[in-house]
Amino acid sequence: MTSRNIVSKIIGLIIAIGFLTIILLPIVFVAATSLKIPLEIRTSGAIFPQGGITFENWVKAFRNVPLTKYLFNSTVVAISSTLITLLIAIPTIYTVVRFKTGGAVLPSLILGTYVMPPIVVTVPIFAIVKTLELQDKLVGLILIHSMMNIPLAFWLLDSYIRNIPVELEHAAWVDGYSKFDTLVKIVYPLIKPGVLSTGVVCLIMSWNEFLFALILTYSDASKTFPIGISQYIGEHGMQFGEMSAAALAGIIPIYILVFIFSKNLVEGLGRSGLKG
Amino acid sequence: MKNKLEQISPRIMAIPAWVFLIFFSIVPLIYVVSSSLTNSTLAQPFKDFIWFNNYKQAILDENFGRSLLNTFLFAFVVTSLETLLGFLLAYAVRGIRGLSTLLRSIALLPMFTPPVAVSMIWKLIYDPNSGLMNHYLMQWGITKGLIAFLGDSKLAFPSIMFADIWQWTPFCFILCYAALQALPKAPFEAAEVDGASGWTVFKRLTLPLVLPQVIVVFLFKLLISLKVFDLVYMLTFGGPGNITQVASFYIYRVAFKQFNTGYAAALSFLMLLIITIIATLVIKGREFFMRRSE
Repeated sequence: MTSRNIVSKIIGLIIAIGFLTIILLPIVFVAATSLKIPLEIRTSGAIFPQGGITFENWVKAFRNVPLTKYLFNSTVVAISSTLITLLIAIPTIYTVVRFKTGGAVLPSLILGTYVMPPIVVTVPIFAIVKTLELQDKLVGLILIHSMMNIPLAFWLLDSYIRNIPVELEHAAWVDGYSKFDTLVKIVYPLIKPGVLSTGVVCLIMSWNEFLFALILTYSDASKTFPIGISQYIGEHGMQFGEMSAAALAGIIPIYILVFIFSKNLVEGLGRSGLKG
Repeated sequence: MKNKLEQISPRIMAIPAWVFLIFFSIVPLIYVVSSSLTNSTLAQPFKDFIWFNNYKQAILDENFGRSLLNTFLFAFVVTSLETLLGFLLAYAVRGIRGLSTLLRSIALLPMFTPPVAVSMIWKLIYDPNSGLMNHYLMQWGITKGLIAFLGDSKLAFPSIMFADIWQWTPFCFILCYAALQALPKAPFEAAEVDGASGWTVFKRLTLPLVLPQVIVVFLFKLLISLKVFDLVYMLTFGGPGNITQVASFYIYRVAFKQFNTGYAAALSFLMLLIITIIATLVIKGREFFMRRSE
């Protein structure tokens, strides 16, 4: 260990702590604001509460808007759409990677859809959903979110399937497994970590999605969390305390999920982000 | 019978994907192209066929031109800064293994925070009365009066960019960190034996080896940034005036606030065309850099 190494380690440590602070500061500030007395919020931007702590904002956030309903809707939409996405994406990516189904056309069409800004298809999607009489219904949003996430799932799962030695599958075929059985019994168990991190990412993307939910839901019965809380902005002046509490109510479940799967997610992102 | 089914089973597995493509991109695109030639409104789709009038209008539409420019400006500025910062941070902390695992878990948080919530967080931070920014800028004597960051025509756009940089730099950091870790060890050990200085190792070894991957990160995030909508909708609603209006937001406004869906379809098609050209270049670029990194 040379002195140069020690110096660079100390500098790295300082930078790491600075980086950590910048990431966490806005989140801590919002959390602190949600516990401040409303009068203090209107007059001071100090990070930590000066005039004591109150849960008033949290109580109000859950009482004044149907926050529980929004969170429930988001949960239903996120879980259902993720399951549909995985159910479609796993066989597709398997058959595209292993059997070159659809040649170069199918994968590039799917990934092309990922590049397309969602605003481009909002008008037709709005029309299609309306024709199917699914507007302002959770089912409509579930279908749209599951489709929206297919390219993402495709892209995230790709490297996992590619890494499986093809000999394993050949052996299964020799043993009389059908191609579909091979996928379910041999391939799926091997790519499970990838499916897990992909599922978590799709779940969060659906939970966070704003534009489609904005145009497809308009009553409290079907609004998701992002649409529900977006009303805090603009309508009747800023209720920052309540708004902070409401925002955190939707952030916290995501953060718990991210922490549980953080190892998977870091690995999955590193793999796909650099290779795919 | 069973054999035949087994033979075509790969194609059967792809059927759901084709259904997805038909409903989510092929039919919608046909819809966009055909309604762009009409005077459609949200209530009356495919009203009056008017040939290319919408496109003529779009080319002369100053708001659209500016919103496209804003989109590119936004995407280019934030992506450059995020990639640069992400790389420098990853390089700086690469030596401290234990802490960097924790750091990467925490770094996952901003990118997975709902964009609506990110907007609210920054709306609060920028607020003249309740926000942390004005409070500490004044307390530390950097500024004298209160600043309405999001209401100021010069500061509004940079303020939105700053929020995006907070959200996505950690993402670039995680990817750059992974790229640095994947570098081969041997050349670095050899350099150490030769007693090369830190700067020389960085300039001659690290940078050339890792640059292709960093460029891949840049291009990937660039494509995400071109879709920007949520932050603008929530933080400024395109304002003050039209200063922060980006293409996605302008199209949204035309389609769902002015109900002019025919015109919005023409704008959408033009935007898609431009982004497809960029994406094709980007994909070709990625392939080029990935081949170099192998």
